[in-house]
Amino acid sequence: MLIEIGHFSLVLALIFSVLLMVLPSIGLYQNKSSLAQLSKPLVWVQGFWITISFIILMSAFLTNDFSVKYVADNSNTQLPILFKASAVWGAHEGSLLLWVLVLSIWTIAVSLFSKRIPSDLLNLILIILGAISFGFLLFLLFTSNPFERLLIPPLEGRELNPLLQDFGLAVHPPMLYMGYVGLAVPFAFVLAALIRGQLDSTWLRWTRPWALVSWAFLTVGITLGSWWAYYELGWGGWWFWDPVENASFMPWLVATALIHSLSVSEKRGAFRQWTVLLAIGGFSLSLLGAFLVRSGVLTSVHTFATDPTRGLFILLFLFIVIGGSLVLFTWRSHLLQKSNQFSLLSRETGLLINNILLITALFTVLLGTLYPLILDTLNLGKISVGAPYFNAVFVPIMIPGVIALAIFPFVRWKKDSVSRLTSLLRFNWIGISFLILLARFLITNNIYVLIAIGLFIWVTFHVIILLAKRIRTKSKFSFAFIGMIVAHLGIAVFVLGATVTTQLGIEKDIKMDVGESQNIAGYDFVFNGVKPHTKDNYSGFIGDISVYSGANKIAQLAPEKRYYQSGMPMTEASIDPSLARDLYVAIGEELGGGAWSVRIYYKPLVRWIWLGGLMIALGAFFAAIDRRYFVRAKS
Amino acid sequence: MILSWQFILMIVLSSLFLAWFLYRPVKSNLSDDDSNIAINKQRQVELELDLSQGHIESAQYQEAESEIISTLASELSSPAKNITIEPLKWLILIVLSTGILSLLVYSQLAPKIIPNTDAALTEPMSMSESIEKLQDYLIENPNDFQALKMLGLAQVGTGNIDESIQSFEEAFVINPNDIDLLLQYASAIAANQDGMFYGKSKTLIEKALSLDPQSIQALYFAGIVSAHQSDLDGAIGYWQKALYLMPDNHPDRNIIEEALSTVLNLQVK
Repeated sequence: MLIEIGHFSLVLALIFSVLLMVLPSIGLYQNKSSLAQLSKPLVWVQGFWITISFIILMSAFLTNDFSVKYVADNSNTQLPILFKASAVWGAHEGSLLLWVLVLSIWTIAVSLFSKRIPSDLLNLILIILGAISFGFLLFLLFTSNPFERLLIPPLEGRELNPLLQDFGLAVHPPMLYMGYVGLAVPFAFVLAALIRGQLDSTWLRWTRPWALVSWAFLTVGITLGSWWAYYELGWGGWWFWDPVENASFMPWLVATALIHSLSVSEKRGAFRQWTVLLAIGGFSLSLLGAFLVRSGVLTSVHTFATDPTRGLFILLFLFIVIGGSLVLFTWRSHLLQKSNQFSLLSRETGLLINNILLITALFTVLLGTLYPLILDTLNLGKISVGAPYFNAVFVPIMIPGVIALAIFPFVRWKKDSVSRLTSLLRFNWIGISFLILLARFLITNNIYVLIAIGLFIWVTFHVIILLAKRIRTKSKFSFAFIGMIVAHLGIAVFVLGATVTTQLGIEKDIKMDVGESQNIAGYDFVFNGVKPHTKDNYSGFIGDISVYSGANKIAQLAPEKRYYQSGMPMTEASIDPSLARDLYVAIGEELGGGAWSVRIYYKPLVRWIWLGGLMIALGAFFAAIDRRYFVRAKS
Repeated sequence: MILSWQFILMIVLSSLFLAWFLYRPVKSNLSDDDSNIAINKQRQVELELDLSQGHIESAQYQEAESEIISTLASELSSPAKNITIEPLKWLILIVLSTGILSLLVYSQLAPKIIPNTDAALTEPMSMSESIEKLQDYLIENPNDFQALKMLGLAQVGTGNIDESIQSFEEAFVINPNDIDLLLQYASAIAANQDGMFYGKSKTLIEKALSLDPQSIQALYFAGIVSAHQSDLDGAIGYWQKALYLMPDNHPDRNIIEEALSTVLNLQVK
C-alpha cells in the first residue's frame, strides 16, 4: 500500500499545483488578499506530498521492493546501500521525481526567504513556479511514473548501470538539478514582473540573489560532474564537450551573463530588456537540456530515455515556456525601454562586453551541439563535432573576457577616463609584463601555457591592486565585493589548471610485465602484478603499482578492472592526488603471461580545474548573502 | 481499492492544513511602494558612500541622485483596496476539488490490476491462478508486452508449450529486441523440438547475441546451439567468454562449467 500512497501523493501534488495556479490568481485579480496569500500554504502542502513520494520511492529501493518496476529495473539485493539510495535518481523516472522535488524545494525557499518582497509580486512568483511544477508533475505522472507495479515481482532486481555505482551519482545530479531548476526562480521573477507590468526596482533587486544561488549550484554541479568523469571513466579527461555536458554548460553561460547584466540593471537601471531576455533564455536552455537527455535524440552515459512521447511532451512544454515568455516580453517591452545613459568607457560597457562574449560563446556551443543532431534528423548524414571545434572556437572568445574581468572592476559606473585608469594601473601592467617574460625564460616556452600564466598573473595582480585600493581608502569589504574577487580568482585558477594539464600532461598506454618499471615525468611506476578481487556486487582484478620519486616510494596505486553481474566491464582508476599534480593509473586487458595493458597519466595542476570551479561557486554564494539583500524595509 | 481510507486521510489532512490558513491568512509582506522606497533609499546611501570614498565625483553623484528620484517617482503607485472573503465557501471548494480531482486522476493513472500485496505475502498465487489473472488482464490490455512475456513464462511452467510459444510470438511482435524474451521464446521452441536448437530457435539466439554480445545467457545458449551443430570449438569459445564475464558467485556458473567440461571431454575423445 505504501507504493500506492507514494503514487497518490504525486497526484495530490499535481492537484495542489492546479489550486496554486487558480486560487491565488483569483485573489490577486479580485484584490482578495486572504485568497492570494494562500499561495504559500499551497506551496508547502504541495512540497510536503512531493517529499513523501520521494521518501517512499527511496524506501522501496532500500527495502528491495521489486514489485515496483523502476526498483526492479535499477537495483538488486547486492547493491551497496549508498548506491541503492542514489539509484533513486539513476534512471529517467526517479531523476524526474528528483527534478520535481528540487523545484519544490526552490519554491518553498522562495516562499520562506522573501519577506522583503511585496506580497503581490511574491504571490505571482509562486503561481508561476506552481505552473512550472504542474508541467513537470504532469510529465512525471502521465509518461514517467516511478511507482508502476509489476504483476509478478521478480525475486531479484536488475543492475544499476555500473558507471553510476559511484559516490558521484549521490552528489552530481542533485547539485546540477539545484542549478538547472534554480534558474526557474529568476525566470518566475521576470515573468511575474512582466505580467504585472510593474518593472520596477524591486524585481531587479530581488532577482539577483536567487540568480546567484542557482548559478552557484549549477557551477558546483558541473564541477562535480567533471571531477566524476575524470576519475570514473578511466582515461583522465575532465571535459569531453559531450552534447549533454554542453546542455548543462549553455544555461551556465547564459546565467553568467544574467548575473552580470542584473548587476547593471540593479545598480544603474540599464540593460533591463536584455536582463529579461537572459532570464528567459537561461531557463529555456535548462529545459532544452532536459529535452536532450530525456527525448532519446542523444545516446550517452547521461541520457535516460528513448521514448519519443516523453521527448514530444518536453518539446511542447519548451515551446509553451519560450513562446509564452516571448509573447509577454513583446507585449510589455515598451515598459522596459527606460534606460540610463553611459559613456563608452564605463563599468556598464565592461559588463556589456562580458555579456556579448558570453552570448557569442553560447551560440558557438549551441551550434556545435545541435548542428549534428539537425543534420541527422533531416537525414543529411552523420557528422561529429568534438573538442577540436569547441577548443578552436570557444577559447579565443573567452580570452578577451578574462582580460576584461580584471580591468573593469577599476572602471567607474557611467563614465570614466583612460588617463585615470592608466595612471592607476600602469605600474601594475609593467610588473605583469615582466613576470610573463620571466615565465617565458624560467618555466616554459609553450605558447598556450604562457597565455594561461599571463592571464593568471593578470587577474591575480589586478585583484591584489583592487584589495590594496580598498584598504587604502578604508572602504568596506561587502560580501558582494568579496564574492566578485573570489569568483574572478577562481576563473584565473581554472584557466591555468585547464591549460597546464591539457598542454603539459603526459599519457602512456603501455604493456607492463610483472616487475617492469616505466618512467613518466620523473616518476618510476613499478608494476607488481594483478590479483583477483571480489567485493559486494562485482568481481574482477586489482592491480598493484608502486610509484617512486628517485629512491623514495611516494604512492601505492591499486587500479581495478571490475565485472558486474550484467557482465559489463568497468575500469576503476587509482590516483595519487595533489595540488601540483595527479598520478593516474588504469589497467586495461590481460595480455598473457602476467602482462597487462596499463594506462599511466601525469596530470599537472589538474586539481586547479575543480578548485577554480568551487571558488567561482563560493564567490557567487558570498555575493548572494550581501548585506543589501537583508536590509529590512520599513513602511 | 482507489477509495482507500489512507487516500481519504491524505485529502482530509491537506484540507485541514489549508483551512487553517484560510481562517488565519499568512501575514502580508510590505507593499510595492514601501519596497521601492526602501531600495532606492538604500541606493542613495550607497551613492553617498561612493562619493565620500572618492569612487565617484560630485557631478556624477548629482546625476545619479536625480536618476534615483525620477526612477522612484515613476515606480510609485496607489494601492488597491482589499476585499474580504468567506473562508467556508472557499474551504468547501478546496475540499471538493481536491477530493474529486485527485481520485479522478488517480483512477485514470492507477494500474488496472494492482496485486493485493498483503494477500500476496501470505498466500502466493498458484501458477494457474497467475495465468488466469494474466489472461483476464490481457483481454483489456492486449498489447502489454510484459504481461504477454510473463504469460508465456507461466505457460512454460505449467507445461503448455504450444500456448507459451503463441504468447511469446505475440510479445515478439510488440518488441522483437528484448533479449530475455528472445531466449525464453527460443527455449520454448526448442522444448517442442526435443530440446534441439535449430531453425527459428537458433535464429532467435543469434539475434539475442547480436543485440548484446556480452549477455551471459545469450552466450550460454549460443554455446548450446554450437554444440548441437557439433561445433565444439565454437561452444567452448562462447562458454569460456560467459565464464570470464561472470562473477565467481554467480548461481549459473556451475551449469556452464559442467557443460564446458563435458564438451572438453568430448573433444579429447
